[in-house]
Amino acid sequence: MARRRIRKHVPLPAAALALTLAATACSGGGGGGGGGTDGLTVWIMQGTNPDESGFFEEVNAAFTEETGIDVEVEFVPWDGAQDKISTAIAGGTTPDVIELGNTFVPGFADAGALHDLSAYDVDTSLYVSGLMDMGAVAEGVYGVPWYASIRSMVYRTDVFEEHDLEVPRTWDELRETALEVKEAEPDMVALPVPGDAQYSVMPWIWGGGGEIAVQEDDGTWVSGVDSPEAREGIEFFTGLSTQDGTSTTGAVNWNEIDIMEAFSDGDAAIALLGSANPKAILENNPDLEGSLGSFPIPGADADTYTPSFAGGSLLSVFEGTGNEEAAWSYVEHLTAEDNMMLWAEQTGFFPGLTASVDTFTDSADPVLEAYAVQLNEASRGVPTAPAWSQVEAEKVLVGMQQAILNGTSVDEATTQAAEDIERILNGG
Amino acid sequence: MGTPVGQVTGGAEPGLRASTGPPGRGRPGPALGLRRRRALLPWALLAPALAVIAALLLFPLARIVWLSFREYRLRNLVSGESDFIGPANYVTLFTDSYLWRVALPNTVGFAVVAVVSTVVLGTLVALLLARLRPVTRVVVVSCIMVAWAMPAVSGTYVWLWIFDVDDGIVAQALQGLGFLGPEGYNWFADRLFFYAVVVLNVVHGGFPFVAVTVLAGLLTVPRELHEAALLDGAGAWKRFWHVTFPVLRPVFAVVTILSTIWDFKVFAQVYLMPGGGVGGSEMLNLGVWTYVSSFGQRDYGMGSAIAVLLTLLLLAVTAVYLRALFREDELR
Repeated sequence: MARRRIRKHVPLPAAALALTLAATACSGGGGGGGGGTDGLTVWIMQGTNPDESGFFEEVNAAFTEETGIDVEVEFVPWDGAQDKISTAIAGGTTPDVIELGNTFVPGFADAGALHDLSAYDVDTSLYVSGLMDMGAVAEGVYGVPWYASIRSMVYRTDVFEEHDLEVPRTWDELRETALEVKEAEPDMVALPVPGDAQYSVMPWIWGGGGEIAVQEDDGTWVSGVDSPEAREGIEFFTGLSTQDGTSTTGAVNWNEIDIMEAFSDGDAAIALLGSANPKAILENNPDLEGSLGSFPIPGADADTYTPSFAGGSLLSVFEGTGNEEAAWSYVEHLTAEDNMMLWAEQTGFFPGLTASVDTFTDSADPVLEAYAVQLNEASRGVPTAPAWSQVEAEKVLVGMQQAILNGTSVDEATTQAAEDIERILNGG
Repeated sequence: MGTPVGQVTGGAEPGLRASTGPPGRGRPGPALGLRRRRALLPWALLAPALAVIAALLLFPLARIVWLSFREYRLRNLVSGESDFIGPANYVTLFTDSYLWRVALPNTVGFAVVAVVSTVVLGTLVALLLARLRPVTRVVVVSCIMVAWAMPAVSGTYVWLWIFDVDDGIVAQALQGLGFLGPEGYNWFADRLFFYAVVVLNVVHGGFPFVAVTVLAGLLTVPRELHEAALLDGAGAWKRFWHVTFPVLRPVFAVVTILSTIWDFKVFAQVYLMPGGGVGGSEMLNLGVWTYVSSFGQRDYGMGSAIAVLLTLLLLAVTAVYLRALFREDELR
């Protein structure tokens, strides 16, 4: 039914865009409208997490046995995911269920692309609130938290032991430690400062005491990226590369996957990495078993931590596929406590259910302890404006970071970024 | 032009009449009916191709023009409803300094350098091939075909590896020779270097087509002309310029037009480079800017306006080439 509605309204742009940009066309939902759904298409994001195909084989088999509905999972790289989703909307080839990064949800919900799940009596109080907030837009519920992901510092314990280094507790100590590693291990990148990884930039904005953007009483958004506090933090982080040389020139083009690969290859000693990365690193390079440690991002001063971006994913159902109900039951299946725990154990992400977070933390790998501290004590989200996902799609923070690493002054680059953020969030 | 075609197809007449069935409306006289049928025949034969072109090219083109006059964002994409806003997108586009400072110079400058390099290199390779013995020629042609057959995406990644800032073979070689310090240099941040890599990539992928096409032309140049020129004491350059080039002028026109069109709308080779897909970066050309505006900034109307501008630019360039080509023919 609803699928037919989409066809009726957008056949022409759909055809034009689909024809000109046909490359990413995927098959739509398997079901043929009406009540009987016999197949679901699911898009799962892929990139920095370990291989997840085994997990889906297992849970999908259970789902099919229970409901008789076949599930086809397609893996979509995080890089360019937003473009692919827009293209799918244009072409009417959206999947039935999709994993969305928490920062994507408000934008797509606001545009009317996602199915409102509030009719299914979702108990929002059960989920990690930072994630749930991004799924609850206006009066509706447009996504259910699946897992939380946080970024903390990972380091090579063997390198630290060999050179008698201590885990740093302040920014100054972090810089000194990185400099000492650089001195002692000239073949390694002591602390890569990536250019193409916006979530690696955000902590330092917050750590210096700045804000990415806050909403004033009259509803306008004001960016604090160009405030003295934010500039101090950005100056510190980028200075590690531009002043201290603890990074490498090529890191200007690195994204989070590149950092993880450098670490896997044994080329990096300290890095800001997501909680699913240690597992993926060991999968890539089993020799590093026992050599990975972690610590929360040190604060500017002692006894504080620098807040890290609390990312994570929600599971959403697309509007207008005709399979919404079956899709919702699949979301329920994936977010059921036992499947959520299984996913967390296999990946290193934190479960999206509040009750499971502690259970998981107690039983998890010690390398995740620092992540639990970071998640509980020093984590932040992005501004909750529907237009935020466009700030990400336009790569505003990436552009800023790359400009600085390539030699633009912090003042100039942050002024430009703040201008862009305000333009987008205020609907320019 | 119509009459000679009719005469040529005359030979196949009996069979054609049988296939088109009994003459129905062509009552006035057999001669007129036949002539009309002959005039219609080419169109009938072209119809399937024209229908496909209309569906695959003209329709999307018309849609893009339509979109460029509308306010069209993600919300409109979902709802399908949009507002007509007149030429507002074009006004924004032409008053945006980014167009004049970055996108247009990048597109045109790159295209000029890339087209000239592709055609010159392709011609030189063709001249070399023409002198080779058949067996050697097959070997060399097979080798350059590999470059042509390489998909743009894979080709771009190979060039990215070659120019990798830390571990690329170019960086290592330059460092080994002492031309580059151990800290390296991020060429992808420098517009000239960035486009130098794109030119290398595009010329590498584009020259085999020129080489093979020009070679086919070279083999038709009568030997006697060269021998006569040689007897008159013409050197290699004079023989090329006064004998080969005039004969192959139409071939050069075709490869130049095609290369121009390809190089104006080059996309993957820029988009996949570091910084090539970031909105506001100095590295975008019109093609990538279209994509970034549409799918990054989700302003499909604006993206369409840029696409229309690119199309008009290409049509203008092609028209100039075609005029020059036809004028040559008329003079002869």
